[in-house]
Amino acid sequence: MQRAWRERIETGAMLAPSVVLLVLFVLVPLCVVAAYSFALRDPYGAVLPGFTLDNYRELFQSVYLLVFVNSFKLAAATTVLCLLIGYPVAYFIAFRAGPWAPALLLLLLIPFWINFLIRISAWVVLLGRGGLINQGMLATGIIDAPVGMLGTMGATLVGMVYAFLPLTVFPIYAALQPIDRRLLEAGADLGAGPATTFLRVTLPLSLPGVLAAALFVFVPSMGVFAIPVLLGGGKEIILGNLIVQLFLEFRNIPLGAAVSVLLLVFSGIGILLYMRALRRVEAMK
Amino acid sequence: MSTPRTPGWATRTFIHGISGWITLLTYLFMLAPIVILIAFAFNAGKSTVVWQGFSLDWFGKVWSNRHIARALNVSLIVALASAAISTAIGALAAVAITRRQFPGRDVLGAALAAPLVLPEIVLGVALLVFMSFAGVTLGYGTMIVGHVLVSIPFATLIIRAAASSLDARLENAAADLGANEWQTFRMVTLPQLAPALFTAFILSATLSFDNLVMSTFTSGVGTTTLPLRIYSMLKLGITPEINALGALMVVANVAILFLVMGRYLPLMLKTNRR
Repeated sequence: MQRAWRERIETGAMLAPSVVLLVLFVLVPLCVVAAYSFALRDPYGAVLPGFTLDNYRELFQSVYLLVFVNSFKLAAATTVLCLLIGYPVAYFIAFRAGPWAPALLLLLLIPFWINFLIRISAWVVLLGRGGLINQGMLATGIIDAPVGMLGTMGATLVGMVYAFLPLTVFPIYAALQPIDRRLLEAGADLGAGPATTFLRVTLPLSLPGVLAAALFVFVPSMGVFAIPVLLGGGKEIILGNLIVQLFLEFRNIPLGAAVSVLLLVFSGIGILLYMRALRRVEAMK
Repeated sequence: MSTPRTPGWATRTFIHGISGWITLLTYLFMLAPIVILIAFAFNAGKSTVVWQGFSLDWFGKVWSNRHIARALNVSLIVALASAAISTAIGALAAVAITRRQFPGRDVLGAALAAPLVLPEIVLGVALLVFMSFAGVTLGYGTMIVGHVLVSIPFATLIIRAAASSLDARLENAAADLGANEWQTFRMVTLPQLAPALFTAFILSATLSFDNLVMSTFTSGVGTTTLPLRIYSMLKLGITPEINALGALMVVANVAILFLVMGRYLPLMLKTNRR
């Protein structure tokens, strides 16, 4: 009896720090943000007590709607490009690289591991007017004058793909790697061509990895703010920039809180869609 | 594996060939910018695009830049403190989750992984709003809390994986031999978890050291971290000084990666050479 109580107290003591951390610094702060998103504000952005839907209503103005559309487009484009590039790379590492597979994975882990800002700064140099890409295109005669690539949506997209690509390769590789090679041979023996084998066997078996990759890219890419500033010149504002501006520059906390709540809701929808799709894929097997 | 020219060999060759080419170009795309960045850190001139000869001047500039030294100091303090806290809290939770029965075990396990899927920017904003609501001045404390939130999912997952593969019989044997619970924990459980604790600590410290988003919202006056400093330098324009700083950080990041991977790498290579 005494021992059981001692064990219970011990377990409680082991759990207390993480529970306090999660409740005090995640749950309660998120509730405060949600509450602030319905608060009134004075002309200087200070929070006033009261309840209003004005903050959300304001977000339906065209300026802000555009931010939502931009963010969604950028996140979707980043996800699709990352999957289109990441899948063949993961396929190659899983099926073709043989003993080189660990080395290839490590080589992809290195850029992923290097400080995010340093990686982006490398692209600021490369895409600049005097940068190596312009120099190369000038030298080969593709262009006659340097092209302004920095400060465009294209530059932002390059930076996004660069930042998120390893995050797509790893989960897809993890899904492809354990596929039983004999299944593929069986497909071939039964007369299925390679395209059919790929579409009917390999691709369906790797779908959970593809879905995880899509989730890992889509959700965080909505909240990015440094890449659109450094590579996109801050012209196209996405949700991440909007949140930074509203909180740190305009000090419009209720409006910023409303944007944060919506971003959280979008992420939640993304996770739910992922789980539904995953269940459907698992059911197919 | 030889490929006989059965029907469909052309398609197969195409699929394999195209995946090979995309892989090659992808690795060029991923690695070339870093190599170029490091190369131009050794440039003699002020240009980050035109090569003007070899020099180590920019590294000297970084070394004597007081802002960078100060930011590095802040970053190291926050990284070490937050990693120590993350590892400690993560270890306690991980051992409890794998070893003990308690109501809400799955919920806590999921909740500890939650910061992984919640947008970090929202967590940062929430912490900022909450801290100003509670009247806490932004600084080391708020930033350390924020960084613990960022790294705790990883720390917990790593330690959980190690704890779940521990052999409970060893602990029972220790108890049978007369060790009390504390002795068992200190002399049997902890040494077995040590590699995971080390990995969790290094990973947490690196995540903190490289963090930009959480720091943007939780740093205060005088607690500018290195990434925050680099971000404001980058907004003003790029100089070889940033390249030199970047080269140093690449070296540090890669060294830590090999330090962590060092134990797994021979294992990875062995399992693959069947």
